[in-house]
Formats: sequence, C-alpha cells, structure tokens
Amino acid sequence: MAKKPKIAILWLSACAGCDEAIVDLNESLLKTLEPVDIVLWPVAMDYKYSHIHALNDKEILLSVISGAIRNSEQEELAHLLAKKSKMIFAFGTCACYGGSAGLANFCSKEEIMNWVYKDAPTVVNPSGQIPQPKTRINENIELTLPEFYEQVYALDQIIDVDFYLPGCPPPPDLIINAVQHFLSGDLPPKGSKLASRTALCEVCPRNHTKPPRLEIKEIKRVHEYEADPDRCFLAQGILCLGPMTRSGCGETCISVNTPCRGCFGPLPGVLDAGAKGISMLACILKAGQSRNPKKLMNSLVDPAGYFYRFTQPVSILNQKWRRSND
Amino acid sequence: MSAYQPKIVCFSCNFGWGYLSNKSELMQKIQNWIPITCTAKIDPLFIFQAFAKGADGVLILACPETQCHYEDGEFRTEKMVLLLQNVIEAFGIQRERVQIMFARDPEGHDISNLVERMRNKINALGPLPKDIKGKGEYTYGQKA
Repeated sequence: MAKKPKIAILWLSACAGCDEAIVDLNESLLKTLEPVDIVLWPVAMDYKYSHIHALNDKEILLSVISGAIRNSEQEELAHLLAKKSKMIFAFGTCACYGGSAGLANFCSKEEIMNWVYKDAPTVVNPSGQIPQPKTRINENIELTLPEFYEQVYALDQIIDVDFYLPGCPPPPDLIINAVQHFLSGDLPPKGSKLASRTALCEVCPRNHTKPPRLEIKEIKRVHEYEADPDRCFLAQGILCLGPMTRSGCGETCISVNTPCRGCFGPLPGVLDAGAKGISMLACILKAGQSRNPKKLMNSLVDPAGYFYRFTQPVSILNQKWRRSND
Repeated sequence: MSAYQPKIVCFSCNFGWGYLSNKSELMQKIQNWIPITCTAKIDPLFIFQAFAKGADGVLILACPETQCHYEDGEFRTEKMVLLLQNVIEAFGIQRERVQIMFARDPEGHDISNLVERMRNKINALGPLPKDIKGKGEYTYGQKA
C-alpha cells in the first residue's frame, strides 16, 4: 500500500476555534482527510511531540498551524514543524496576522503580568508571586515554564509560511478548497492567501441600500442602537469594516445583524490595516458646517483597537519596534 | 553626549506652499520636505512609514480653511490627522509628533522656520522611546 502523505495540525496561541472549524466539516471531514495520515493534532488526538522529533526532515507534507506566538513553547513547536514539513499553512487570522490575541501588544508584558497576577479585582495573591520561567525546588530539581514573550507574533514573523487562510475561524468551503489544492498538488504561488480578493461590501447582501455618498454624522455603537436588519450599517451610522476587509467569510456576522469587524484582514496590497481604516473613516465621518471635527473624531472609542482588532502584530508601527530591538 | 537631532518629515500642499519658490534650492535647505498636490493625498500609511523609517515627527502644511483648491481637502486632512493622533497614542507615540498647520506661503520663506520650530518641540519630547509599549527583547532563536 502506498504511503499516505502526512499532515500535522497544531494550535499555538489560539482559542481552538480554528480546530473547531476543521471538526465542523462534519462528514466531509472524513472524506477530506481520508487520503492523509494525521501525525499531530493536539486538540483531537493523542500524539507526543517526541513522535514529531523522530520524523525525518520534510517528512510531513503539510503543517496546518493556527494561532499566534506568545511564548517560547509555541515558538519551539513552530520551528519544529517548519523543520519537519514541506509546507506550512497559516490557518486562521491569528496565525496570519496575530489576531485578537495580538491586541495584547498595546500593553507591555509587565502591565499584563501585573494585571493578571496582582491588580485584577478577583486576584488573591498576597505574596505578589508572578510566574517565572525557572523555579529551583532543590539542588537537583529546577522546574521550567515556557517564557512569556514581550509581545505577540504572527506566524510568519517567526517561521516561513507558504500559504495563508484568514478567518476567525475560516469557513468550511475555503477549508475544503484549500485541502483539495494541497492534495491535488495544484498549488497557488507561495505566499498566497487562499481567500477572495474582493472587499466584503462587494458581496454584502445590504450593499444595494448604501447611499451614493456615505456620511456619518454621529457614531452609533451596536449595543446602543437597534440596527435595521436590512440596511447598510455605515448608512445607519454604525461602524462596519466591510469596505476594507477581504470577503469570503460567508457574511456570517452581517446575517445576524452585526457589523463586520475585519477578521479576514486587509485586502490584497494593503500594507497596514489601520492606515486604511483611518483613511476610510476620515472620509465618511461628516463633521457638519461648523468645521470642528474634533468632537466627532474623538467619539470613536479606542480607534487603535478597532482598526487593528485582528492585525496589530503585523502593523507597520509594531514591526518597527520589533526590528529596532532585534 | 551627542546632541539629539530630531528628524522631521514635512508634507506641504503645492497649492498653498512654496509654489513660487525655487524648489530644488529649498529642498536642499529643508531635509525631508515633500511637496504634495493637496494634503488630502497624504495616506496615513505615509506617516506610519515615516515613523518606521526613523522620523521623530511629521509636520503637515495645509491650506487655510475653506481655501482648498479641491473644496475641502484641508478639512479631510484635519479629520485624518485627528483620528491618526488617537491611533498612534495607543502605540506609545505622543500625538504631538504629528501636527498640521493651516496657512499660505507661496514663496516658501517660512517652511524652514516651521520645520525648525517643530524640531524644537519634538526635541523637548525626546527621541521615540525604544521600549515602546510591549516591544521588549526578542531572544529565542530569531527568525533568519
């Protein structure tokens, strides 16, 4: 019997939503994964990392990695799979752009540690202990924990990535499409994002209700205002990142009357999602005849978190400081 | 101690600033001066890239209110700058590092003074902090 190609599925700093998306393929999962051997899938199966170490280099055909990289264990695993695999597939928004985990980059490691282990109101920690990478128990025993890094990294900031599939989580049709590409050997160029190249607005079912000239006079937030389920969100004054976000998600948020938050990441050719977001909003926020835009502009709560909700680690400003410290 | 010389990138609108001047001469005098046709053309990306390439501050010289050649370009730029200032603060970059001015100076006499004044202001802020929020050392097996 011919050997089946090997596939590894790994989660790093992720919520398991991406693994869940694979499981959600239901019966088609069995058919899709029938021609392959899964050598690693921590969420669903019992395998040891030593099995992966024992493999030859480049023996795994494809490693599907979801999640960003926050600590040294995740980085070690990413390097291990990069060594053992022919192709690396960044699966889901966290692996592609850092994802919502990347928002932690707006705080320093110290701030995070202090909040989680000392200052949060539910924490009881009278001796002020903070986890350390190494703890000596006695002369012979030293316990270790993975080192918590200063910031969150997207996968391709740590290892070379061949293909990307954004989405939080990626939708089933795009997953099946990607797997079929890999198995048939009909591969797109390295670095491809296996998703649509158009903006969400182009496929949005509410697009026809968009006025010819969008103008927002007051920013409304979803929890403060009951949105009309059929009208364009921007036309109602509710911020929606549809114009600057890749389509392909199946418009799931829109169909439950929730504006787009940008999980599919920026469109092809966009270097920085935040820059595009600023451009877009500055154009459509209308400050009226008074020409005093300050109040309206400041009424957007947490603009950085809003524009970089899924892409902070790959933003230009974040990368500058990564480079200068490397 | 070596004197800290802040690098200022200055964008100015061609319709309001320096269009009667000898541009090549002025450009030699003012480093990183970028005349642009309408300041509304400035993508926030240009400003981010300026910071990423080592600028300490960005000065935008726009036309006076209501005098834009294209009706409301200066107003659009002002909105963009206000939003951008809020965003860069989250990255730990002081909002004063991006400033916008509305005036006219066809001969371009004032541009170098304005850049100098901006430089003094940024000098008081000091260089961009190296340990900007969350950007510490990266130690384990760095990517080649």
